[in-house]
Amino acid sequence: MSAEITLLSGSMETIEVSRKEALRYLGVRGEPAPELSALLDRARETLNGSAAPRAVCRRLPLKTAGDRLDFGVFRLQSRALAKNMAGCGESFLFAATLGFGPERLLLRLQKSEPSFALVFDAWCSAAVEGWCNEVNARLAQNETLRPRFSPGYGDVPLSLQRDVLAALDAQRKLGITLSDTFFMTPCKSVTAFVGISGS
Amino acid sequence: MTITERLRICRTYFDGGMGTLLQKEGLRAGELPETWNLTHPSVLEEIHLAYMEAGANVITSNTFGANRLKLNNLDLVIRAAYDNMARAKARFGGNSDDVYLAFDMGPLGKLLRPLGDFPFEDAVDVFAESVRVAAACGFDLILIETMSDLYETKAAVLAAKENCDLPVIVTNAYDESGHLLTGADVPAAVAVLEGLGVAALGANCSLGPQQMKDIAAQYVQCASLPVVINPNAGLPQVKDGKTVFDVDADGFAACMRDIAKTGVCGLGGCCGTTPDYIRKTVAATRGLPFVPPEEKHDTVVASYTHAVSLCGVPKLIGERINPTGKKKLQAALRAHDLGYLVREAIAQQEAGAQILDVNVGLGGLDEAALLPETVEELQSVVDLPLQIDTVRPAALERALRVYNGKPLINSVNAKEESLATVLPLARKYGGVLIALTIGEDGIPATAEGRCALAKKIVDRAAACGIDKKDIVVDPLCMAVSADDNAARVTLEAIRLIRETLGVGTCLGVSNVSFALPERQDINAAFLAMALQSGLSCAIMNPCSDEMMRAYRCFCMLQGFDPHCESYISFAQTHPRTAAVSAAAPTQPADDGNALPPLMYAVAKGLQKQAAQTAKTLLQTEEPLSLINEQIVPALNLVGERFRQGSLFLPQLLMSAEAAAAAFDTVSAKLPQADGKKGTILLATVQGDVHDIGKNIVKVLLQSYGYAVLDLGKDVPPQRVLEAAKETGTKLVGLSALMTTTLDAMAETVKLLKKELPGVFVMVGGAVLTQEYADLIGADGYSKDAMGAVALADRFFACNET
Repeated sequence: MSAEITLLSGSMETIEVSRKEALRYLGVRGEPAPELSALLDRARETLNGSAAPRAVCRRLPLKTAGDRLDFGVFRLQSRALAKNMAGCGESFLFAATLGFGPERLLLRLQKSEPSFALVFDAWCSAAVEGWCNEVNARLAQNETLRPRFSPGYGDVPLSLQRDVLAALDAQRKLGITLSDTFFMTPCKSVTAFVGISGS
Repeated sequence: MTITERLRICRTYFDGGMGTLLQKEGLRAGELPETWNLTHPSVLEEIHLAYMEAGANVITSNTFGANRLKLNNLDLVIRAAYDNMARAKARFGGNSDDVYLAFDMGPLGKLLRPLGDFPFEDAVDVFAESVRVAAACGFDLILIETMSDLYETKAAVLAAKENCDLPVIVTNAYDESGHLLTGADVPAAVAVLEGLGVAALGANCSLGPQQMKDIAAQYVQCASLPVVINPNAGLPQVKDGKTVFDVDADGFAACMRDIAKTGVCGLGGCCGTTPDYIRKTVAATRGLPFVPPEEKHDTVVASYTHAVSLCGVPKLIGERINPTGKKKLQAALRAHDLGYLVREAIAQQEAGAQILDVNVGLGGLDEAALLPETVEELQSVVDLPLQIDTVRPAALERALRVYNGKPLINSVNAKEESLATVLPLARKYGGVLIALTIGEDGIPATAEGRCALAKKIVDRAAACGIDKKDIVVDPLCMAVSADDNAARVTLEAIRLIRETLGVGTCLGVSNVSFALPERQDINAAFLAMALQSGLSCAIMNPCSDEMMRAYRCFCMLQGFDPHCESYISFAQTHPRTAAVSAAAPTQPADDGNALPPLMYAVAKGLQKQAAQTAKTLLQTEEPLSLINEQIVPALNLVGERFRQGSLFLPQLLMSAEAAAAAFDTVSAKLPQADGKKGTILLATVQGDVHDIGKNIVKVLLQSYGYAVLDLGKDVPPQRVLEAAKETGTKLVGLSALMTTTLDAMAETVKLLKKELPGVFVMVGGAVLTQEYADLIGADGYSKDAMGAVALADRFFACNET
């Protein structure tokens, strides 16, 4: 529907996933024991065989007045985001996901193999961050960008997800839906603002 | 002529995009396009008229999102949408008899359970409300489109079928890989929708005509119904700050010409297409000869991801989820432990089953509630088609409703009562029927007698509108120990039924060996004989090594296994000398101290080894001493290391799983009451769809010997209360992941405390703190899973009687 939305796709083979980050999610400090390391390797292989990294991105005009932000498609009030966006006249808005493959596997593994499910879940979390980093890098090719900022951080309410996903037509394009309590499905999905410096 | 007739005899054109045209007329971002039916009636009228003049036969209403979740003046909007079309049709100078007005329904914007949080019946209800309004307006058909989830598609079709008599056409939205977003492929969609009795089906949106060619070809290849293809005008691209689609009207029409040649009956457009695209498509394809849809004769069932054909290579139907003669499964069903059924399902899939039988009929249980619940639970984790197995029509109907796919229905027989109740259900919901050759006088003694009953069922089904391709006959096999000719007659019946009726056959293979020694050998031989007689599917235990060997060998020898690849890989992973060496008496531990073998396996998280070692040790040791001297100490050792930070949550869980496996083996040798230390009810609160934390707590509690009743995720307060009341559970654990669901937790605690003051409620989850737990009146709080075990230990120690 909405016109200026760009669809991006990636490959797990090239997306950089931080092992360190996955270990941090697992609460592991120091070098992981061999059995744990093996589980991480298996998580990587399992994800690479099941993920379909996709993202939608839209460039939005931005008008700010104090802590009020107007992105054209929606408005909000947030001190934290206004600070992040200070000086930007435009912002990217994107939604990124690993797709339904890992989502279904997570459901299954939690019933069949809880310990691996935990490791796989952490690996997926690190992977969607990695995918966001790649989306960010692609957007940064011609622009200088601010650090990305997601709904739910600081004083930006999670309820903003409704407007964000609608502005990106993310349900139709990526299949991301929202529960009444603002959970995204697939759960390994991220939405974010990325301010364009000097715009 | 109805649209259903028209689609079968001549090429039918659908209209094109609506959104882009409305945007051109000034529709603002964020504005609901449906409201324009009321505010800009003449704009809509002109667009509809332009499509009629371009040559479209099917004109779709501007009601993509017209449902009560998005609009509160549904009635007015849908009526206005119809009026706008009717005015255009009245003004249309061409043959208005050849214009059909379609009520358009798009997705709800909600993801259905189990992936999402929206209940299936609620979706049916929301669609139904829109359908009822539309039916009163005078539309000619319902067009369900841009559906990217097969389950939601089924909900919409059921709503349409149950609330009006209009023909229903369905087009789904695929990604480049040829799958719907939630995983279904084209053969699965075709199987499900043809089963539900739609008038035509196909694909729209997401892709341009070029990328849609392959999907169109797949549809034509497996559908018996007319196929409709409505692509986008290519992919959207930004040029000079404006979005354009990369395929122009001429390029679009050229692609659509190719698509028409392959046998697609309905052609139209979606996003980015305009009346010009349709006009050029009509011009480019008008002269082509019409290719009518071709009837397909494959017998096909489907899950929510893929279809399985019962023709060609014989299929294996896993029989393990059936309580008859299975004590553990019976106990699990009585304890409502659906997790046990899920594990059975996964084990059968891994062993090579392609379809799973599901039977939960057990005296004293409410099968009409339990069967649909089990189907949903299995479908949350296993993507195999299911065979719904029940003798109760109420249970069958409820399971058929919620089943996501096209199931096998087990079963109908030749008795009047069965024919009268089961055939209409199969007709309504779709499915492949298993027809048992049982008549009013029982099972005929001869192959001819059984074939006659099969013919009766096939004829009666045909009269009911069910094609014989949707029937598989089970000629039944009695125990050869009771009748020397039992197997021979059955084999003869398989051949006779296949040859004279042209239908597939299936058979519960294991009955034959009843009351005989070394049953697996008999079963394996009989399986090979039945397959050689032409059996299409065997209902059997795929975990039986002997039977799987027979099956793999048969497939290879029959030429179903190119280059013997499947056989070789099976043989390599299933060596005949698979004797597991007994565990060594002691194993070295990390810190240099020797640990007893079971303790070692549990501490290292070696699940299979733990179960095997426990089994070996049970020959010489007391079960209780194994629990107290090895399993529990191992868990304590691991728990201690976890607390010290020298070992982490995944390892703790691995040990817990190994302990649970060992415990399972050991507790089978214990008198029932000694097996469990106490029962705990767990739930993730309403609104929370992430329950990995709760699942970790569950595994740990189980490994420490507690029985856990897991209510799952997104559980309403009332449901927790009811479960606690029904089971008399004294300890309830609740989890919540995010701040948005803390209120639901507070409400649940409040309700429990009010109605059941004696119940101890412990809470946990990422955002919870001791302070918040105190604030909402919880009795206990734990920051991690080990803490939950400690709370449970303390609770049951204090409350022991």
